[in-house]
Amino acid sequence: MNWALVAYSNRRIRGVAVAGLAGVLVAWSAPAHAQGGRPQAGPTAEAVVRQAEDRDTGRDSRADMKMRLFDRQGRARERVLTLLSKRGAGAAGDRTLLRFSSPNDIRNTGFLVWEHPDTDDERFLFLPALGRVRRIAGAEKQESFVGSDLSYEDIGGRQLADYTYAFVDERATWTAPDGSKKDAWVVESRAKDSGVPYPRSTSTILKDSLVMVHAEEFTRHNERGKVFDVRKVEKVDGIWTVLALSVVNEKTRTRTDLETAAIRYNVGLTDDDFSRRRLEQVP
Amino acid sequence: MSAWVARLLWRGRYLFSLFIVLGAAAMAPLVNFTSLDNDVSMWISKSDPVYVTYERFRKEFGGGRVLLVALKSDRLFTVESLDAIRQMSDEIRRVRLVERVTSLSTANVVQALPPEGDDAGGIEVQPLVRDIRDEAGAQAVRIRALNDDLLRGDLVSEDGTTTAIVVAFDEDRIDEERGEVIEAIHKIVDPRLPKGMQAFYNGSLEISETYNRVTIANTQNFTPPILALMIVGIFVMFRSWKVTGLVVVAVLASTAWTMGLFVLFGFKFNVLASMLPPLVLVLAVADDVHIVQHFIHELRESGNARQAFLSTVEHLCVPLLGASVTTALGLLSLATSNVLAVRGFGIGAGVGVMVDFVLSIAFLPTLLTLVPPDTAPPPQERWLARPMGLVAGFAVRRAGAVLTTLALAAGVAIAGIWHLRVDTNHINFFAERHPLHQSAAVIDRELSGVYSFNVMFEGEPGVMKTPDTMRRLERLAAELQGLPYVKKVTSVADYVKRVNRELNGGGRDKTVIPASAEAIAQELFVFELSGEGRTELERMVASDYSRGQMSVKLASMSSDVVFEQINRAEAVAGRVFEGSGIRATATGSGRIFATLDHYLVTSQFGSFATAFVTVFAVMFVLFKSMRFGVLGIIANAVPVLAVLGLMGWMGISLNIATVMVASVALGITDDDTIHFIGRYRRDVLAGMSTADAIRTAAEHEGRASLTTAIVNSLAFAVMLLSEYKPSAWFGGLMALTMATAFLAEIFIVPAVMTLFPGFYGADAIRRRLLKQAA
Repeated sequence: MNWALVAYSNRRIRGVAVAGLAGVLVAWSAPAHAQGGRPQAGPTAEAVVRQAEDRDTGRDSRADMKMRLFDRQGRARERVLTLLSKRGAGAAGDRTLLRFSSPNDIRNTGFLVWEHPDTDDERFLFLPALGRVRRIAGAEKQESFVGSDLSYEDIGGRQLADYTYAFVDERATWTAPDGSKKDAWVVESRAKDSGVPYPRSTSTILKDSLVMVHAEEFTRHNERGKVFDVRKVEKVDGIWTVLALSVVNEKTRTRTDLETAAIRYNVGLTDDDFSRRRLEQVP
Repeated sequence: MSAWVARLLWRGRYLFSLFIVLGAAAMAPLVNFTSLDNDVSMWISKSDPVYVTYERFRKEFGGGRVLLVALKSDRLFTVESLDAIRQMSDEIRRVRLVERVTSLSTANVVQALPPEGDDAGGIEVQPLVRDIRDEAGAQAVRIRALNDDLLRGDLVSEDGTTTAIVVAFDEDRIDEERGEVIEAIHKIVDPRLPKGMQAFYNGSLEISETYNRVTIANTQNFTPPILALMIVGIFVMFRSWKVTGLVVVAVLASTAWTMGLFVLFGFKFNVLASMLPPLVLVLAVADDVHIVQHFIHELRESGNARQAFLSTVEHLCVPLLGASVTTALGLLSLATSNVLAVRGFGIGAGVGVMVDFVLSIAFLPTLLTLVPPDTAPPPQERWLARPMGLVAGFAVRRAGAVLTTLALAAGVAIAGIWHLRVDTNHINFFAERHPLHQSAAVIDRELSGVYSFNVMFEGEPGVMKTPDTMRRLERLAAELQGLPYVKKVTSVADYVKRVNRELNGGGRDKTVIPASAEAIAQELFVFELSGEGRTELERMVASDYSRGQMSVKLASMSSDVVFEQINRAEAVAGRVFEGSGIRATATGSGRIFATLDHYLVTSQFGSFATAFVTVFAVMFVLFKSMRFGVLGIIANAVPVLAVLGLMGWMGISLNIATVMVASVALGITDDDTIHFIGRYRRDVLAGMSTADAIRTAAEHEGRASLTTAIVNSLAFAVMLLSEYKPSAWFGGLMALTMATAFLAEIFIVPAVMTLFPGFYGADAIRRRLLKQAA
């Protein structure tokens, strides 16, 4: 019997907190704590990944999103949510508040994450039917992001030192959904710990925007497990932002589509917007 | 007609023989006894409603074919044991095609967190086993596990001495690599067992794999001794290496042809098909003994190989054809079964019998002309001819006593039939010392049992999470839990209750279904928040909540009882969900196997009836006589009655293996009768008296039948040594069939002929013939 209800990874979720979907994708495929520095002529694969991690994703953001969860029969469930995120400063970690507005029976359900760089994250859940905030504790890794095919590890970024990087293709081309072609790198990352569920992945990173637009994660048996595809990427408030993303889990034969209906960066969110009291306040 | 066939075969004997030899050589490589397919799709039609429902269920919730590894130790909750379980689980998870491993080390427990500061408490989800550094920590794990209603009695025994590792696979591919995958898991678990811990393997995949191993072992272990006994038997009876060698060549050619055609027809080798080679061997021996005996006799009489060939074929063509056709029809009657593997067996064996007829009548006489045997009377003639004559004489003189004894024996047999049980218990098919039997005992006693089935619910989207549905699920679970043998019932309602309890402080009084639809939806949402939770939930309820399932785990038992339980569960579910707009259907791997066994047994009654009618219809046609047809029925019903009676008295149930014995026996036993009656009528028409014709038939055909009965009974009896009881029963009962068929031929047929001279006497036969001629 498995009782993994709401147990989140200890790993970073900086990507979510910082830049919504754009951050999701950046942080998922690039390790956290990468150092800055633009790649020089003939950059190494590691330098490319570092730069993708360090690109500007704003101080905070507010996004209205639609999440469509497809089960293995192809049936879709739609959830509409608002995601507030704020980059941490100093000893404080990133903060994220998620609130669902649809479907009706989970309307106003909220979820709050306080990251702590040096200790376990804190997580809180508000269920309107219960009327109170509940702390969520747990230590499971590879947990999914609110039941989607994205895991917190995918979106939270990985420690740079845990992986080695190599170019698969330095002169790759990515064909956007509108048919336009863009130059890209294809980088392979291999986990130093072969025991992780997905020890190898390949990521396609656009050369002009440093946005990762496609990735594949491989299982320990070297079977393709997950495929990430960006459907729409645009500049919003001067920041390259992924507005539509599809993640297919080939093992469970499920799929998650994420669409951002609206996103604003640097809207001036404060710590108070990420308090437990605010979590309880139904809009 | 027979003479024409004999001449045709004589003219084309080399061509026919070359074709037979080349064909056998071409067929032999097709026969791969190590490539088995005991997959469920081999046993049940894919269009069967039960299978269709199961596929719908499997597509929605995943299959239930798992490998269960029970680990038993008095020191289960120690650092060493828990560490070993963790290592095993981690390693098993890395095995190819493993999709999910559930064990103490992968289990997560949910518990309420006490209020802290200004918060109202929380909910903790964490692995049951985490960072166990000392024995106190291990004991804490024990307490947590035994306090968890969903773990206790399922993943860990009530007394905390047994736990399970449950391994689920990619069911679409596992059957292709099942053996290797299971072996890999054995190799992971066995070397890591701490001192005092025992591993017991079971579950549907282990059972399937054991069946495969048994099938291969049966084929590899029993074919050589059956062949060896056959060779020894033939040699002893004919005291001629030439004859023995020729018969072996002919028999092997028959087997190669039969099995090759079986493969070419697209049938797969499985546990039933493994009985085909020995069956073909013994049937071929039966035909060949008649041919050899007749050929030697004719060669001695005429001194001419051509004459011996023509005479043998001419005289035996019709009886052998009749015997083969009836045997083939008896076996082909199995093709009416709705179980695919039985159909394959019936068609394969039926075709094999006819192939054997062709080979026996065309190939063996040719071989005998090429390597003429010694014409001196062989031992079986010297030893058996006179005793056979004496026995026939006894049956003629004491016909009344013989039939009275027969009537008494029939009465005893019928009384035994009254005790026959229909019962297929796959675990009990193996000896008590067999690992499968032992593991089932442990899992049934300590955990939630080896068997399971599911109730699937189907309705409109959203219906599975309404408070009304939850309450009905709860009521149904309570009713099913009350059924005998049911050990654990789980549905989505249990998950909701568990989350509700932990979100409301963890008190047992909170283990209830919330009253509002919103609360249920949000608690399910909590469960879905984690990927594991979403995956686990999707195994219980469809993502749009239009379908759900209830898992019912049972102790291993007779599949007939399982079948009855499942039908009962479906009826109860139908009643509980009446008026809800939800359709409840029992399904799951348990239903598939129970239904399959039910089909196997019930369909055989139909097959036997078909065999009975067709076999005797052929006999009437063959003898062109209603009277001799009736005599055939009497003589052949006896072995069948004897077999079924003995089964009843010995407590051998009618099950998936033994239920075919009646049909097969009917097909085999009539051979002796056909040969005997054929010879009797021929000699009577040649002018012999009733008594003389009976004696001659007994000395010749009875002798051949006795030779066959001895050789084949010994060969079949070898199967009694099988560790798989159905194979042993099949072998033993077939040996008994052979023996009683011979006794029926040598005692009953002469006695009936004597007691009813108006029907079977020489004068009556000749009179009728003259009348017909006139």
